Amino acid sequence: MPLPWQKGSVDSEVLKWIQRVPWAPDGGGSRKTEELMLRSFRHQAASIPAYGAYVRHLGVDPARVKDWREIPPAPASAFKSHDLSAAPTEGASGAVTFETSGTTISQPGRVRLSSTKLYEASLLRNFQRHLLPDGAKLRAVVLGPSAADAPTSSLWFMVDRVVREYAGETLYLVHHGDPRWKAADDAFRMAADTGEPLLLLGTTLLFMAYFERLRIKDASFRLPAGSRAMDTGGAKGQIAEFTRAEVERGFEQRLGIPTGSLINEYGMAEMGSQFYDDGLIAAHERRAPMPGKEIPPWVRTRVLDPETMNERRDGEAGILVHYDLANLNVPLAIQTEDIGRREGDRLFLEGRLLGAEARGCSLPFEEFLKAGAP
Amino acid sequence: MSPAPVDGFYLPPALEAGVETAVQRFGPPHDAVEIRLPIVAPQDVTRWIAALRQARAEHLAQRPIASILRPLERVVARFLDPKDRARRLLVQTVAVCGRFSAPMVERALDDAFEPLARGGFRKWIASELGAVSALDEPAATREGVLRRATGPEWMLQIYAGNVPTVPVWPLFSALLLKSALFAKTSAQEPLLAPLLARAIAEEDAELGACVAVVWWKGGTAELERAALAAAPAVLAFGGDHAIASIARQLRPDAKVVLHGPKVSLAYIGRGALGRAALPGLARQVAQDVALYDQQGCLSPHAVYVERGAPVTPVDFAAALGEALEAASTSLPRREPTASEAASVQLYRAQARFEASGDPKNRVLASGSGTSWTVICESGARFEPGPAQRAVRVHSIAGAEEFERAVGPSIRFVEALAVEERGPRRAALAARFAGLGIPRIASAGALQRPSPLGTHGGVRRLSPFVTWSTVERSKGAGASPRAPVKKASRPSRKGSKTRARPRRRSR
Repeated sequence: MPLPWQKGSVDSEVLKWIQRVPWAPDGGGSRKTEELMLRSFRHQAASIPAYGAYVRHLGVDPARVKDWREIPPAPASAFKSHDLSAAPTEGASGAVTFETSGTTISQPGRVRLSSTKLYEASLLRNFQRHLLPDGAKLRAVVLGPSAADAPTSSLWFMVDRVVREYAGETLYLVHHGDPRWKAADDAFRMAADTGEPLLLLGTTLLFMAYFERLRIKDASFRLPAGSRAMDTGGAKGQIAEFTRAEVERGFEQRLGIPTGSLINEYGMAEMGSQFYDDGLIAAHERRAPMPGKEIPPWVRTRVLDPETMNERRDGEAGILVHYDLANLNVPLAIQTEDIGRREGDRLFLEGRLLGAEARGCSLPFEEFLKAGAP
Repeated sequence: MSPAPVDGFYLPPALEAGVETAVQRFGPPHDAVEIRLPIVAPQDVTRWIAALRQARAEHLAQRPIASILRPLERVVARFLDPKDRARRLLVQTVAVCGRFSAPMVERALDDAFEPLARGGFRKWIASELGAVSALDEPAATREGVLRRATGPEWMLQIYAGNVPTVPVWPLFSALLLKSALFAKTSAQEPLLAPLLARAIAEEDAELGACVAVVWWKGGTAELERAALAAAPAVLAFGGDHAIASIARQLRPDAKVVLHGPKVSLAYIGRGALGRAALPGLARQVAQDVALYDQQGCLSPHAVYVERGAPVTPVDFAAALGEALEAASTSLPRREPTASEAASVQLYRAQARFEASGDPKNRVLASGSGTSWTVICESGARFEPGPAQRAVRVHSIAGAEEFERAVGPSIRFVEALAVEERGPRRAALAARFAGLGIPRIASAGALQRPSPLGTHGGVRRLSPFVTWSTVERSKGAGASPRAPVKKASRPSRKGSKTRARPRRRSR
């Protein structure tokens, strides 16, 4: 078996594929994504002890798995209870550990990677396609901390990586946990004055907090055409009291960013790849935007009936299980608690609106955790 | 076919006139119930509260408690009557709304109203205030202290929707204390409290004039502020966020009881683990788990089972699984949302993941679907599950192991069912009561609390009472400035024993 990253190794094959697979449903008809998933799965069953034990416990023989759909997904919560990484504990150079949030079981989960090569290949290609299809190089404003300020966050790692790769000068608005809104005002005013478009990146919650501040001050900015924003759910489990329409209205009214230039991202620390809205690439390709988020061609998403765990038909809602080639040090197949549906290569997330109301005197585990119990 | 909308609020007739309402659909799209809800503005809240206070001054504050109890007892009898219109409407609509199955609602109503029947109100009041008459005039305690209990002028109550009958005792408690009541229902269960209030008004219009039950969207800040900033007494149920937000907005001198999220547990001693007793024991625990689909704070999330008995914890887990399977037809659950089912599936997958590293662990689950889940594992820990009848059975060595695991999280425990044979049951109960668990019950009775007990360790009337103590006069013409002797005085009633000098407390 070739050594990691050497020609023919699973690492280098996956890396090449993530960099080259055509942006088309099912990678343009090639079976290579699925083949690499099977190869990667066998590698993971052998190299991640806890995952290998789980696979055997379920009675699955990795050598006999011939269809990617048979790869047992690891529950996202297992990152919190188990070490689900093949990376050596003592990180070599290039090693990184991200912490997860939001799903079940105590303590934050950990995602240890011995190398971020695949993660970076995935996030850079995906971000560029969905945020910068025109090849623009913009000044960036990050509604969040720098990666150095949040070293265990995969989100701020990602943001840091894309602005270093694609953006000009970057302003980080959160320092040691405190947002510096005044600096945001200054940056937006200057952009409006100079006509230089901006790239904004941040969590939806922080954007909404900033818009609320502007609303109280009765202030708004008109960012120059070409400005765009990526917002993301950020820390899951936080109470979001607003709808997508309210978020879009905030961007439009407070910053002059039209909905077509506002791209929502869905991602999780347990996964190397993300999912994005279509607005900017649609405009670039001079077509109407498609609803939903694009499933990158190196990712497959299955939608399972929440009651029976049988696969649902295209367009039917269910539990999302993602299969992500960018996960090599950690299991590529992840069972989430998220509900959504798939239409071809488009992914639709369904809000957790029902869960937003207080649940009364019962104690859902999430709340128990937030209450700070051991 | 769509039946007429049901009212999801109650306002006294004088206030209801001119209220704008909107009809909202609740429940699954194919079988939704239309519920009429008021459109509430902050000035409405202020106006309504003023009217309720006025009504209380006119009709309630001076009314003898006996004449308050009579109509309330008639209301209780109505809700216990399976043929009563209000009860039938409630069972029907709550079930159609998709919150709970009809047998479950019937059960909940019986459990909530039964303890109030046949003198239940009087026992409840006496258990907290000493004498029922203390609500009318100063009454002597056993120690000879004369005191009268006065309730707040009005109460704000905020209900949660997890268990359908949560509002029943609180709603009555306000009227028992001769307080007006402004109540906010939960979006998940906007029906019971208004129906109960309407039934009270039907039995006694004057009492009905002192109660308003409305609903508004959670977190509608101005409405909440308007009510909270003025309320002299607040009783609220809710999740952590809701409770924290309420606490921030209270009047500093308000009498307040806030109930945040909690769960319950069960403990089975080895003496209770005989072969013959197993099916019955499992049935009792299964009933506690199945009721209200584990949505309430009295629902057990874990059963701690001692090793070393003829019946092992694994045997118990298997029997519990069978009993839960039976309960899925006798007490059907409501259909879970996709998100709730997804949480159960993740919980099961996680349990299987953990079982792969520990051959002693087992995951038992309903044949198809998510209707019940029993996870059996060795060792104790405290970790509430996703509800939906998912329960963990922990095989433990004894009470110490339980205490080590649960002790640090004791503030999240509402009740503990303890099963054991002989005198050890009392010893275990005493030991666990010493941990500060608010209620020790027996299996099968967890979901049937008594109004004589507490909720979250807090009583139901007394926290809202202002006591007026009346000291006896020192005799006609006694100078108010007469010097108080340090030494003892002979007992006025001429006690037989010679009074020893008593040390005055400072």
